[in-house]
Amino acid sequence: MKILKRILGIGLALFVAALFLFPLLWVVLASFKTKLELLAVPPVFIFKPTLQNYINAFRSDFPMQVRNSLIIAASSTVISIILGSLTAYGFSRYSIKSSDFLQFWILSLRMLPAIAVVVPFYLVFRALKLLDTHIALILVYCLTNISFAVWVMKGFFDEIPLELEEAAMLDGYSPPQVFLRVALPLARAGLATTTIFCLIQSLNEFLLAVSLTTRVAETAPVGLSKVQTLMGVDWGLLSAASVIFMIPIIIFTIIVRNELVRGMSFGRMK
Amino acid sequence: MARLELEQLDCWYGKTHAVDCINLVVEDGELCVLLGPSGCGKTSTLRMIAGFVQPAGGEIYLDGQPISHLYPGDRNIAMVFQSYALYPHKTVREHFVFPLIPAKIPGPEIEERVKEMADFLDMHDLLDRYPSELSAGQQQRVAIGRALIRRPRLFLLDEPLNNLDEHLRVEMRANLRRMQQDLKITTVYVTHDQVEAQALGDKIVVMDMGHIRQIGSPQEVYLYPNDLFVAGFIGTPPMNFIPCRLERMESQVVLHNSHFSLPLRGNLVARTASLPDGQELILGVRPEHLRVRSQPAEGTMPVEIYVLEPQSNELILDLKLGDLLIKARNDKREFDFRPEVGQQVWVEFLQDYVHLFDKGTEQRLA
Repeated sequence: MKILKRILGIGLALFVAALFLFPLLWVVLASFKTKLELLAVPPVFIFKPTLQNYINAFRSDFPMQVRNSLIIAASSTVISIILGSLTAYGFSRYSIKSSDFLQFWILSLRMLPAIAVVVPFYLVFRALKLLDTHIALILVYCLTNISFAVWVMKGFFDEIPLELEEAAMLDGYSPPQVFLRVALPLARAGLATTTIFCLIQSLNEFLLAVSLTTRVAETAPVGLSKVQTLMGVDWGLLSAASVIFMIPIIIFTIIVRNELVRGMSFGRMK
Repeated sequence: MARLELEQLDCWYGKTHAVDCINLVVEDGELCVLLGPSGCGKTSTLRMIAGFVQPAGGEIYLDGQPISHLYPGDRNIAMVFQSYALYPHKTVREHFVFPLIPAKIPGPEIEERVKEMADFLDMHDLLDRYPSELSAGQQQRVAIGRALIRRPRLFLLDEPLNNLDEHLRVEMRANLRRMQQDLKITTVYVTHDQVEAQALGDKIVVMDMGHIRQIGSPQEVYLYPNDLFVAGFIGTPPMNFIPCRLERMESQVVLHNSHFSLPLRGNLVARTASLPDGQELILGVRPEHLRVRSQPAEGTMPVEIYVLEPQSNELILDLKLGDLLIKARNDKREFDFRPEVGQQVWVEFLQDYVHLFDKGTEQRLA
């Protein structure tokens, strides 16, 4: 009975995983197919792979766009993590006047629909002569990422018993040292979670990127959308580019997977 | 090693007066126990000494120097927290090293001190373990080691035995006492457990509602409680309280209430000499100062056995005296009969140990 249950459970898990992974598999396969194989009905699963799509992708503007995406996402994530955890720590550890209101205000920035601010942002950045620059997108992404980081990190800091920090204070550590040497290491899972979500959010963002960049600072999602030409869509190229674009996130997720699992289950620390 | 002095120390949490202008001196090398029920202000006092809470008024002196304006880390005070406050991401060795870093102790000496502390606590085999891999007793030793490795002037303990099971608690209690006496370190120990306080303290400070009710040696607070609160808080089972009135009749002084009358004898007569006739009193007598007999004798009172609570070597009897229930605690060997529930027996008050409290002020009169 127990074994049956276990088999059923594993079966269900595999089924769900397959369901979610199938599109991914499809894209990976498509990236190695020729145009003809791509459009074959019924689809072929066994074929002679070609690297032509990847070669085409690397010859296009795509590597530059990926670089832009990575620079913008990494910068905005680093800034958001630093400012976000400091702010969260402040909210968590010090009594701040109208703290609840301020926290809600920060959260409300995340509820803002991007479409509502596209035009004002465009005008502001045009006035600042920052259109089509990395800085513009970094700043804009920080807006949503910081508020996210504050909320997630505050939860993690709240979970750290105050006594751990008091013990360090008695040992002669100054408040900044207590933050760096006690609070941050204990909120590792929160840092990993926040980093992943900020990265994904910044790498995937499309609307603001397409509005605020034209060429120099164009990000990968914008570039991908432009593969659709008058000549139709080059699905092979698009698939290859998508696969390349997925790699950094996959690598990072694998690196921090342990922290991430703890982070998602909201770090039950003991 | 240091002498700690609290002067008019005051603390408010919002509208709660947590500590109300207390004065206290802890002598060099002394172990002072702050004892009281939860919310009595004992932990707040400790936290003010450590520097986590800023006092609303008053001053804390360590070796004559005011320290209440200092950052906790600049006071050279160490503390063992109730939860031990161990870092889940650090090994035992790292716990020992951690306090030595801000103190700028040179590397070789750090090694030496860690080794010394591991010897002292018998923890050599555990140095590379994480707190989650240690038993509760071992965790506590790590917390003590981390606190003492800096060689602080003052050692604070906040209910350190609370998280241990009964058996370990008694063992660690003795260890703590031994350690404190070996190191001769001035210590403030917070607990709500009066047995622990009796066992450990050189000096017991009984607190209630932010006030100090009594300061004294374990014997003093047990034998001569200042007021009803201290009398009721120290000792298990707690002291019996019987409301009564003092009456002088001819040559006799008698304590009266509707169910009993107790003619006073011996030095209790002298102790009550200054009390006016008709004074409303509360008689306090500890369960161990009642003797239960099967036959009436001089100065005994008839009572009915209501409940029997046998202990390993003692018998606790709940006795019905009119509508009052009083407890007696006697050595089993003292009984020359087999007590049974419902049985009529006679109880004798050992008058040398009877206390009289003023009904209004609750202060001890005699």
